[in-house]
Amino acid sequence: MSQRYYEDVNVDDEIEPVEKLPTTDMAIDFFGRDNPTNPAFADAEAGKRMGIGGALVPGLLKLSWLCQYTSDWAGPEGKVRSVRAAYRRPDVADRPLLLSGRVVEKRQEDGKNLVEVEVVTIADGQPSVRGNIQVELPGRS
Amino acid sequence: MADQQSLITDEHRALVGKKSDPVRVTVKAEDASRMRDVIGDSDARYVDGTGIAPPYTLAAIGGGRAGMAPMILPNAILTQQEWRFSRPFKIGEELDAVSQVIDIRDRLGGRYGYSILAMTSTDYYDLAGEHVAAVLMTVTQFDPKGIQERGDS
Repeated sequence: MSQRYYEDVNVDDEIEPVEKLPTTDMAIDFFGRDNPTNPAFADAEAGKRMGIGGALVPGLLKLSWLCQYTSDWAGPEGKVRSVRAAYRRPDVADRPLLLSGRVVEKRQEDGKNLVEVEVVTIADGQPSVRGNIQVELPGRS
Repeated sequence: MADQQSLITDEHRALVGKKSDPVRVTVKAEDASRMRDVIGDSDARYVDGTGIAPPYTLAAIGGGRAGMAPMILPNAILTQQEWRFSRPFKIGEELDAVSQVIDIRDRLGGRYGYSILAMTSTDYYDLAGEHVAAVLMTVTQFDPKGIQERGDS
């Protein structure tokens, strides 16, 4: 993970996409095997009964991936300040998810270097989660 | 569905804006470690021994938000989420979580047909009363019988 500096970031910069493969095991392990979760995370039939078409990928797992994706891009001195996401379509386990991002704003506020990144997960060519993540980056000076 | 009557009652509406009593929660090392493993996060800031939990540990912290909004329809799915961080989480620290129902409203049309949007929030404070993080989430309640056949699920 390399450090990204505020001065080197431009609006419309794109973050290199990353592919993830969510599984039902990941969904269960993410929350802990002893913790109750939505049955549809582990059971494709339960997901189908909800009208989803298979085991449901937890929104919080996807949000966490997006958070990590942006944090990795920002580098070890970058700080994630906020994450906002809209879950537009349910994702089904065992189908690849592509994470991508683009810088949409940069500004200095109260002495902080703030960068807004628009992030999206894409499954089967369609966006499933859209969000904005605000990170604070160090400056070079 | 145009003549669908709202299932939200005055009793439901009366829940909006009421804050919960603080619920004491702990940032657990095992949660942070397990979630890092699942996510595949190798960020050196959060490895065991640093005492710092990654931001997404918030997904495991809870704090009484679940169950605050009434379940009016049989199924629910998370549709919007916001996390805000005032500072990093420290492993082992105790936080007081204060939750509230922000809004309950009907929605007609869309993927779920008649649905109900329930928005809740939780603010987390350290034991000195300083704000640490906040969660805002919208859950869409729906009846599977109302899902429109769009072939995209």
